[in-house]
Amino acid sequence: MATEGQQHPIKIYFLIWLLLFVLSFFSYLVDFYHLEGNLRWFLIVVFMLLKAGFIVAIFMHMKWERFALIFGILTPPLALVVLMFLMAIESDYAWSTRVVYMGEDPAPKPESPSHYKKSEEEKGH
Amino acid sequence: MTDTTLSTQESIFTSTARDWSSDMTTFKGVPWGKAMMWIFLLSDTFIFTCFLVGYMVMRMTVTEAWPVASEVFALTVWGVSVPLLLIAIMTFILITSSGTMAMAVNMGYQRRKWAVFWLMLATALLGASFVGMQCYEWSKLIIDEGIRPWGYAPDHDLGAPQFGSIFFMVTGFHGLHVSVGVIYLITVAIRVVRGKYDHTNFEIVEITGLYWHFVDLVWVFIFAFFYLW
Amino acid sequence: MATVEVPYQETVPLHHPKTWIGKYIFSQDHKIIAVQYGITAMAVGLVALILSEFMRLQIAFPEAGFMAFFTADHYYQAITMHGMIMVIYLLTAFLLGAFGNFCVPLMCGARDMVFPFVNMLSYWVYLLSVIILMISYFVPGGPTGAGWTLYPPQTITQGTPGVDWGIATMLISLAVFIVAFTMGGLNYITTILQARTRGLTLMRMPLTVWGIFIATFLGLIAFPALFVSAVMMLLDKFLKTSFFMPAIVSLGSKLEYSGGQPLLFQHLFWFFGHPEVYIVALPAFGVISDLISVHARKNIFGYRMMVWAIVAIGALSLIVWAHHMYVAGMHPSFGFFFATTTLIIAVPTALKVYNWILTLWRANIRITVPMLFALAFVLTFIVGGITGLFLGNVIIDIPLSDTYFVVAHFHMVMGVSPILAIFGGIYHWYPKLTGRMLNDTIGRIHFYFTFIGTYAIYFPMHYLGFIGVPRRYYETGISEFYPVAAHNLNKFITIAALIVGVSQILFIFNLVHSYFKGKKAPANPWGANSLEWCTPETPPRHGNWEDRLPTVHRWAYDFGVPGEEKDHIPQTVPRRKAS
Ligand code: HEM
Ligand SMILES: [Cu+2]
Repeated sequence: MATEGQQHPIKIYFLIWLLLFVLSFFSYLVDFYHLEGNLRWFLIVVFMLLKAGFIVAIFMHMKWERFALIFGILTPPLALVVLMFLMAIESDYAWSTRVVYMGEDPAPKPESPSHYKKSEEEKGH
Repeated sequence: MTDTTLSTQESIFTSTARDWSSDMTTFKGVPWGKAMMWIFLLSDTFIFTCFLVGYMVMRMTVTEAWPVASEVFALTVWGVSVPLLLIAIMTFILITSSGTMAMAVNMGYQRRKWAVFWLMLATALLGASFVGMQCYEWSKLIIDEGIRPWGYAPDHDLGAPQFGSIFFMVTGFHGLHVSVGVIYLITVAIRVVRGKYDHTNFEIVEITGLYWHFVDLVWVFIFAFFYLW
Repeated sequence: MATVEVPYQETVPLHHPKTWIGKYIFSQDHKIIAVQYGITAMAVGLVALILSEFMRLQIAFPEAGFMAFFTADHYYQAITMHGMIMVIYLLTAFLLGAFGNFCVPLMCGARDMVFPFVNMLSYWVYLLSVIILMISYFVPGGPTGAGWTLYPPQTITQGTPGVDWGIATMLISLAVFIVAFTMGGLNYITTILQARTRGLTLMRMPLTVWGIFIATFLGLIAFPALFVSAVMMLLDKFLKTSFFMPAIVSLGSKLEYSGGQPLLFQHLFWFFGHPEVYIVALPAFGVISDLISVHARKNIFGYRMMVWAIVAIGALSLIVWAHHMYVAGMHPSFGFFFATTTLIIAVPTALKVYNWILTLWRANIRITVPMLFALAFVLTFIVGGITGLFLGNVIIDIPLSDTYFVVAHFHMVMGVSPILAIFGGIYHWYPKLTGRMLNDTIGRIHFYFTFIGTYAIYFPMHYLGFIGVPRRYYETGISEFYPVAAHNLNKFITIAALIVGVSQILFIFNLVHSYFKGKKAPANPWGANSLEWCTPETPPRHGNWEDRLPTVHRWAYDFGVPGEEKDHIPQTVPRRKAS
């Protein structure tokens, strides 16, 4: 079988490597600066998908594969997208029935973990 | 008989149609093991996604409060609480290991066996240290924070009990993949220097790499969904 | 630089085992593995059959003295084990493990699976899963009695039989089965995609291989959902997590669970469960297409349509799952979505039925035993498929849910039909596998008992369903709700079931007897075209072919080609130059 293999200049690996660090750092910053709401999860998802894309495309050599393979591997997960969307709708519904029929508190506040409380207190002093 | 010279000018549609309608092989030039690994990873993607969908459902349906991840996973360094420090280091390690793995693949195709060996070994060591840090993280959560798979230790109630359950299950399953990967890497590395693959093109290194990068890929999603979200 | 592609298997030597154990026990030969899979699957299938006879006796004669030992717990355990064994350990294992292993390399012109060792492992792990399943009859409390759907919370709350050990062995066995299936399945797929012989394009493959290909692929992406739900259920049971368990009061006390979502299990289970229906149906479709075409001496009608129908069914089957959950209390508008997709999937399915019938149209039909089974398959599949259309509609399903109408439907469509396809396939390929013909007369008797018998079992069940007899009931008792006719009908069904059960002895006798005493089989007794009939030896040796793999020049359905002197042209015969 003709296997030329996947040989590519090392430079590109280093580049992607670096890029992954930078993207991870950015997504870390999202948390560090306590961004909230839509902006927060938009950024998280964008950084996540970028990282995933680079790993699959470059490190796993997907970019250089023939489209027959790319197509064969990337289309089936569409079923998962359907599952995810439907389950999101379903969960939303289940949650609303719980809130409506069982009188649960719709937006409860979580407790902070003990070590966190401690360090917050120290800051306060 | 088919001529497999691959013209680069072909559109992807023509080339795909041609590959899928050709005889003998559908993925031209792809060794058996690599095709099999890709399909296995596809199957594994379904496993992890089902786990993550379970996580989504849990988080969306519970009416108790969901603990704030950045507080729970914060590390106190010299009295200052730094959010996600340990996780940042673990991510750093895993990405680094992906880099060394990619280099190993490259060296493999240059037939530099010892380079392959050392790079794969480095990858395995980084993977093992990742697992070690995960153990540390788990023990901290269990002992200090009182988070248990079934809920919370007394006096530690942070809200929904599903938080710990799903966290330990998914990171545990990922950790299992990393551990298996470490063993797999070491085995292949040793077999490479022993000359077991000399008659091949060392695609085994690439196949191992596929698995390893996949584990890294899963971590990208876990990092975003469990620690940041 | 133009390189000419050669089949990779021609370039690597095959490693022949030297010891007897290497040849027949820990064999890496796909044909032996197929036989091992087949025998194991039939053995557990027999267990499931016996369980079903007990259930039937209980339903028909609840007062009879000889059924006194059969308690309600036994009944639920029997239901669960029967359903699970039949669907997974018999049908999936047989159609993919046995037919998949036997047909894929031979029909693709390969020497063996791409990774024979992994293939062998697949069988042994499957055997392990079967053993774990059987152990559940010997653990304290016996096997789980939760029904094959294993719905929480009842599956893991006190009151269900086998709630401690039985459920653990069941879930572990399923997880192990999934590992086994994955190892085998990766092999089948890779062999079909990467190890075909010269000239064999995907669109020249026999439909059997297509059916197995898509079914295996579905398995690889559907079983993960079952795996995940099994893991989560085990954690719920043993670590007291609350994935599927809401806050619940059981036997007067509040359990430690809170906040879980039982519907998540149902969704995950059916995200696996519906594709599973097609995992057993698609290989059956493929086998039947080949049987019909070969024994009717006519090319299959609309080959390309058949292939695309298989692909379309496979794709659609991933987005219809919640039609099993219309009464589960899910999001109210899901019914619309899933009813629509369900009815859409009926289109390619009906297309296949039309094509079988059009293949038979004015064909030179030979009523051989495999053909009888194939024809019977089409009949039962039409009945089961049409009742499926009823149940796919929300408003019709709601009153019929959990009645015997459902039992009748799924037994017709995924119980009897694939079993008939398996029988047909065995009668068809047995000569190639063993070199002997199966006895024709016994075969015919076996066929009529099985076909008419199963019809007698399941057809009346539709009526029971209409009058509201519920499914999964240990005994219905005499009440105004059930007319006397229902009880009489139940007795009739049970007698038919007993006859069908006993008549399977004929089949087993035939298999064993013909192996030693059967007529010697010619290389190609049915005059078929696909590659497995072109092997140099019958039964094919390890490695199947001579040094050079066969070359394929045409599809597998050249029967009765005008202007040719022979009525069939094997795939290896070159096409004549246009004159
Ligand atoms: C002669 C053959 C068979 C007989 C007599 C038979 C009989 C039965 C009976 C009596 C039940 C329980 C119905 C109830 O009380 O609700 C049942 C359930 C079931 N059977 Fe069969 N069966 C046969 C073959 C098969 C086959 C080949 C399959 C393969 C798909 C199958 C799959 C199932 C399933 C999935 C259930 C549902 C179990 C549950 O409710 O959890 N059966 N069968
Ligand atoms: Cu279904």
